[in-house]
Amino acid sequence: TLAVSASMAMVPNAFSAEHNWRFANLYSRGTAYGEVYQNFADNIEAMSGGRIKVQMMYAGEGVGQTGILGSVKSGLMTMGAPFQAMHAGEFPPGVVEVGLPGTTSDVGELSALFHEKGWNEVLTEAYGKQNMVYLEPYIQLPVYVLTKKPINTIEDFKGMKIRAPGAYGKFLRNLGASPASLSWSEIYTSLATGVIDGSIGSNLIDHRDGNHAEVAKYMYRLPIAGAQTLPIVVNNNAWKKLSPDLQAIVRSASAAHAREQMTKSRVWESQAVADMEKKGMKWSPEPSKEDVAGWNGAAESLWVEYANADKYSKQLVQILQK
Amino acid sequence: MFKMLLRTCCVAINRLVYCTGLSASLLMPFLALTVAFEVFSRYVLNAPTIWAYDVSLFLFGYIAALTGALAQQKRSHIIVDVLYLAVPDRIKALFNLLTYSLAVFFLSVIFYMSLGKFEEAMEFDYRRQSEWAPSMAHFWVMMMVACTMFVLQFVSDMLQSSYFLFTGQRLMPETDGSSSENEKVTNNESAIKNGNVSTGNEVKGENA
Amino acid sequence: MSIEVLTLLLLACILVSFALGAPVGLALGGIAMAVGYMTWGEGIFTLIPTTIESNFFSFILLAIPLYIYMGQLLTRSGIGDAMFNASQMLIGRIRGSLAISVIGVCSMIGAMVGIIGAGIMTSGSIALKPMLDRGYDKRLALGVIMAGGGLGILIPPSIPMIMYSATTQNSVGRMFIAAIVPALISITLLVAYVVISCKMNPEKAPLDTGDERQMSKPEKLRTARDGFFSLLLIVAVLGSIITGIATPTESGAIGVVGAILLAVLFKRFRFRMFQSAGFETALLVSASMWIILGASVFSNFHMLSGVQNMVAQFTQDLGLPPIGVIILMQVIMLLLGFIIDELIIVLMCAPLFAPIVVSLGYDPIWFGILMILNIEIAVQTPPYGFALFYLKGIAPPGVTMMDIYKSITPFILLKLLVLIICMLFPEVVLWLPNMIMGEG
Ligand code: NA
Ligand code: NA
Repeated sequence: TLAVSASMAMVPNAFSAEHNWRFANLYSRGTAYGEVYQNFADNIEAMSGGRIKVQMMYAGEGVGQTGILGSVKSGLMTMGAPFQAMHAGEFPPGVVEVGLPGTTSDVGELSALFHEKGWNEVLTEAYGKQNMVYLEPYIQLPVYVLTKKPINTIEDFKGMKIRAPGAYGKFLRNLGASPASLSWSEIYTSLATGVIDGSIGSNLIDHRDGNHAEVAKYMYRLPIAGAQTLPIVVNNNAWKKLSPDLQAIVRSASAAHAREQMTKSRVWESQAVADMEKKGMKWSPEPSKEDVAGWNGAAESLWVEYANADKYSKQLVQILQK
Repeated sequence: MFKMLLRTCCVAINRLVYCTGLSASLLMPFLALTVAFEVFSRYVLNAPTIWAYDVSLFLFGYIAALTGALAQQKRSHIIVDVLYLAVPDRIKALFNLLTYSLAVFFLSVIFYMSLGKFEEAMEFDYRRQSEWAPSMAHFWVMMMVACTMFVLQFVSDMLQSSYFLFTGQRLMPETDGSSSENEKVTNNESAIKNGNVSTGNEVKGENA
Repeated sequence: MSIEVLTLLLLACILVSFALGAPVGLALGGIAMAVGYMTWGEGIFTLIPTTIESNFFSFILLAIPLYIYMGQLLTRSGIGDAMFNASQMLIGRIRGSLAISVIGVCSMIGAMVGIIGAGIMTSGSIALKPMLDRGYDKRLALGVIMAGGGLGILIPPSIPMIMYSATTQNSVGRMFIAAIVPALISITLLVAYVVISCKMNPEKAPLDTGDERQMSKPEKLRTARDGFFSLLLIVAVLGSIITGIATPTESGAIGVVGAILLAVLFKRFRFRMFQSAGFETALLVSASMWIILGASVFSNFHMLSGVQNMVAQFTQDLGLPPIGVIILMQVIMLLLGFIIDELIIVLMCAPLFAPIVVSLGYDPIWFGILMILNIEIAVQTPPYGFALFYLKGIAPPGVTMMDIYKSITPFILLKLLVLIICMLFPEVVLWLPNMIMGEG
């Protein structure tokens, strides 16, 4: 199917609407996730009766992956779906927001955290400070670690060189592994030649897309972070230009997008797992009670550390610890 | 008198740019050492560092950006010289004025945006997203310095080109940007270049 | 302004500013920002910080300084020459032998680096001077470097192939294996061309001046020793990648340390040599990075304006037969090679074209290899191509752009021939991976 053709129709009259928005996401054209964001954009157009036109900018089209947050902030992009682990240096609370190692994967609990316990308020203020409007959070898949050698107990992580940035690296170091920094496009070659013994992926689909299972076969069963919650952010100046009814429309399209992410992610994750299993990927054996305890212990010390990053991180972690 | 003033100005700029560029180029061995150390640390000690990745990228950025102005002084920036080489020197000087203005415009925009980025970096304490998380503010300061040097060098080159365009005489015979024979910039360091690229003269001889 | 008109305007601006002799990178960036300011307003300037960050903080591009530095150290210490001198003792009596050794060395460098810029600049640093010193025809020398250095993205490991595989969800391993036969064909054709053209025009490649044969025995031994060790360095760098000591990017640093150690060992290390290698490297790195920055600003602006939509629509609207679509895509990529580098071509074209190609019933690995072959040509085609700029950067003073255009023409035709062979006979690409990994 030609995913491309779907996005064509709106481009020629991109300048005829009341509001012309550009929406940046992390995924390439023609990918399944890219389509979900496209649906979100189409939805905004349809629900606003064409008063808001949204031009989708896919991976590398104008801004790189690490540039999404900055470009929404500056207004180059009107709206963005950033991956907060990539913006840890610009927006520290984003690391807590996306899910520190050891946080829950329960959808109900997560939803309560954001909607009832006060995370939404904290994040709205934190993003607001940087000229962005925070919309509905959406939940994406957990982070797993793939290794060249099987992991039978968490002791096996000791001494392993694993590509894992930021908080995930710190977590693995607590388990005795040696986290290494590598560019994403060198992971495959590095796993193949043995520069590293393993790598995390931002989710199982990412592992499949990078073909990493061709050169590293063993997937550890416990996820490093149970689920990832990602934001949709809008440039504040563009947001203020919308009438209240249009603002409500964008918010409700955003809620619909969150639901679509949830249902489709699970389906695609199981497809990705099936694809990788066909190529020989194997799951580690069920971890023992001690392993689970050790795993969670490695995560807890991190929370305090990240709480100290800035005042919003502290507020988020305090709510988390309640 | 006026000529002396202009010349002094150009000489001063050239010297400043030369010193900045030379200093940046001294970082080159440290860049290679940093990357090599990371390999050693990871492979032999089994302990990858948390800093080498960012340090090597910063060094790379510093070298690439800060040497830009010097590369202009030494005419190392790539130009498509198909038509350029065929026109008389005075037309070349005119071309230089036009194209250097475009370059100065671009560099000014970079300067202006880097300043904004620096202010943001100070306000929100921007860092790299790595575990080590070094500050980003210095990088934007460096970009501003790099752009300033670059613009200064273009100003010097444009002064020389304008002088030649209007008077038909070279302001500084050796470093005039409008000459096609200017590949050899006879600066105090030119020996470094000439002494080692022995093919330079042969190829040139063939050309002439 | 429609995207078609905008594209024409941008192209016209490029042609004019390049013709006036503008510094390439700054002109591309300046044009994009000036036209952007007129069509978008001041907001377009915010493109610059994100573009600076994505280029200056790219670990992949770090291969450029490291490999150039290694090449400069080898050349300036005389170790690089030693390698070719030794090869002349062995095969000096064959006409064009030096060019053949250069192709061999370029192929090995190709197996070390993953991006075009590092491939051409390393090959150029090491191999251009020995050829010119021995009176080789300038055009032959430049052409061989360009063609050989370009192999960097065809011989695995190759960053563009990894990017293609990731965006189209194909096996990287399969892609690497699929590239081997086309790479071997390319190398064979290059060698054949050198041999035949030197036979026809003996003045292009003087036979060895007899220096090697007139050498005293100790001199000969010394040359052989130096040549052996310098070859060993290249093998060691390659080995560090294969054995998992370093990534392809990092291996450049191993080469630098190795080159310094060799120079010290052979008593060829001079502090001045060391300093001037760093100085020259910094100038070359700067020239490359300012081009990459300007060109990225340009292509980012062009994509924000929707050029990718124009390309996709154009490809679909013509109603061509399947093979016509494939050919049209090749032409589009060749044209894009005008102004953007290989990584951006892949990033932009792989997701646009691959789904169409698969829906037409073609093998995505085959198309991926065609894309790589095509990019190799695209970045080398006159009037403007990235690889041309790299070669100009490394060439000695006095080599004009026109020299470079003329030098590469026969080699471009050879690469075009490889592309056409692979396009017409998909088995050339698919046979090896199917045999090793089974039918995809
Ligand atoms: Na390669
Ligand atoms: Na081209």
